[in-house]
Amino acid sequence: MKQDQTLRVGIVGCGKIADGHAEVLKFLPGATLVAVCDREILLAEQLAVRFGVPGHYDNLASMLQAEALDVVHITTPPAVHLALTRQCVEAGAHVFLEKPLALNAPDSRALIQSVEAAGRLMSVNYWPNFDPPAMEFKQMLAQGTIGDVVHIEAFIGYDLSGAYGQALMSDPTHWVNSLPGKLFQNMMDHIINRIVPFLPFGPPEVHAFAYKRRETVAGNETDALLDELRIVLQSGRVSAYGTLCSHARPVANTLKVYGTKATVEVDFNLRTVIRAGSQSYPSSLGRLFPPFLMARQYFGQGRKNVSAFRRHEFQFFAGMTTLLDLFYSAIRTGGPLPISYDEILFVASVMDEVIAQVYPS
Amino acid sequence: MKILITGAGGFLGKAIVERLLAHGQTDLRAMVRDTAKAQGLREIAAQHLDANLEIVSVNLRNPAQIPAALAGCGMVIHAAAALKGSAAEMFMDSVVASRNLLDAIVATQPTPRVVLVSSFGVFGVANLGRFALVDESTPMETQPQNRDIYSHSKLRQEQLFWEYRVGVPFELVVLRPGVIYGPGGGHFSTRVGLPLFGTFLHLGGRNPLPLTFVENCAEAIVVAALAPSADGEIYNVVDDDLLNAGQYLRLYKQQVKPLRSIPVPFWALMLVSRMVEKYAHTSKGQLPAIFTPYKTRVMWGGNRFSNAKLKSIGWKPIISTRDALARTFASFHAEPPKAK
Repeated sequence: MKQDQTLRVGIVGCGKIADGHAEVLKFLPGATLVAVCDREILLAEQLAVRFGVPGHYDNLASMLQAEALDVVHITTPPAVHLALTRQCVEAGAHVFLEKPLALNAPDSRALIQSVEAAGRLMSVNYWPNFDPPAMEFKQMLAQGTIGDVVHIEAFIGYDLSGAYGQALMSDPTHWVNSLPGKLFQNMMDHIINRIVPFLPFGPPEVHAFAYKRRETVAGNETDALLDELRIVLQSGRVSAYGTLCSHARPVANTLKVYGTKATVEVDFNLRTVIRAGSQSYPSSLGRLFPPFLMARQYFGQGRKNVSAFRRHEFQFFAGMTTLLDLFYSAIRTGGPLPISYDEILFVASVMDEVIAQVYPS
Repeated sequence: MKILITGAGGFLGKAIVERLLAHGQTDLRAMVRDTAKAQGLREIAAQHLDANLEIVSVNLRNPAQIPAALAGCGMVIHAAAALKGSAAEMFMDSVVASRNLLDAIVATQPTPRVVLVSSFGVFGVANLGRFALVDESTPMETQPQNRDIYSHSKLRQEQLFWEYRVGVPFELVVLRPGVIYGPGGGHFSTRVGLPLFGTFLHLGGRNPLPLTFVENCAEAIVVAALAPSADGEIYNVVDDDLLNAGQYLRLYKQQVKPLRSIPVPFWALMLVSRMVEKYAHTSKGQLPAIFTPYKTRVMWGGNRFSNAKLKSIGWKPIISTRDALARTFASFHAEPPKAK
């Protein structure tokens, strides 16, 4: 494939998250969204009308046959990811999937095997890991600023009364309520995928527990949904805490990495990367300086964000733009994938273990 | 005749049930998605000793639940629609839900009469010119992608009803209410303006507001539903003695609570809209195109409205705009402040 070839992209699954993909694709150079598909044709139609997409279908086979797609974004619920992936790659399309990749690790493995067997490529939408602060953090890691990683804390807040939360809390038949790990399974990728890159390869020690903190009783299947999750991981010389918290405010989204040289906190909501302060000078006087040094860091981060805003690089889904740029580049050039398959499968296997512990069957 | 009312637990749905009972239609089946919303309906029914009100819990997203709810009904008043949520959710709850209902209706023998509560949002007024008259002959929107999701979904919903009627003839009456207001409803239509950082942007100038008090609107729906001559007709629903946006805001400040407002003239709003639209594009969607010249012309360009056709079938407001506003504002004034 030529490096400057414009990729023909399709979307299958025209629910809420498909809007995010369509919005990013609208402005992404080198790719054109040419068709959308949903088994509910009225949903496919509304997405096509709103984003000026020429084709819309209620059948994936018809879309694949008619549109000669280079890439298909699979934004359906995860239960059908494996089947749809097989269909896409057998038709010659690469695939970009929403998280969670599949219902469990064996299905995730089968999905990736089907992609490889067809000689195609895949990636999964771990977009926050490609947001501007995450990219800055990766650069710090590469430069050795943090030293050896000792411990990681990944924290994801969730608002059950927010737009996404309400959608699943008000509808017992919502697909999230049917997942083996329910809400956690739909959100946990964003916890585990921040931790896994620091762990030595191989099964880690996993301890997880969860509970239901809310008191409301709906009298339906949503009552079985637990809303607070705590995970402890350890592998080799690295440990980690993962938290999914539905009640603490503000709804936070952070990664804190404790290293032998420095401790750094990435705030995905504020888009800041801050090194923890320390006392460099003796006595009480020495404690006067660190807050000012922290303030200087925040000021610098603010300036950086303003610059990104002025360069028009501060979109909500900026990370998805970067991730897709890298993935599409791999498709065109055969270069490295933005997320390795080993890493994706590692995340899936840890998720399976957590779900087995908090929702024992 | 048994009448099915969808969306019966909602702001308008409850008023429709009340007006049906007032018109002597006592055999009613109220469809709600969430039975927690049924208490208000039971209270209404309790005031009518002869009422035979059946409450059924149905999610119109699920086609399997619909035929049983339709069984034995001679008329369906379809008032269920999504007012908020993502685009996909709004289309599911307004458009897909309507398609599911229509599939069940055309499969029912005899086919019931259908009354659709549509919306002013379906009109294509952007290119009409300022203060043009909007009546039932005004064309429907042709560029829904340039409108808000609610208008887009209501347009597609109404189109579906006309499309289905071509395939399987059935009696259809469409009502297009303007801004429905009343106790328990929203305080401001976007046509008046928008709250912003603790102040209120008064964007509607002196544009007439297409107001309809919830009880008057429900009365219009019931009168049209029961009028044999209304089959195949569209009726705009607005009250008499309409206020303009500036008058509404002034009365609100006097009777509900003080409010700091900033008037924004139409020319300035158009200028800002052009800038916002251009910036949304050049910044690759960094800020959404909340204002665009198209949306601004639709929402704040200003139109005049007519209810002559509705009156021709015998509707008249059961409460004057003056009294309805007094009652509504007194209710707003008594509302507890919202938790922050």
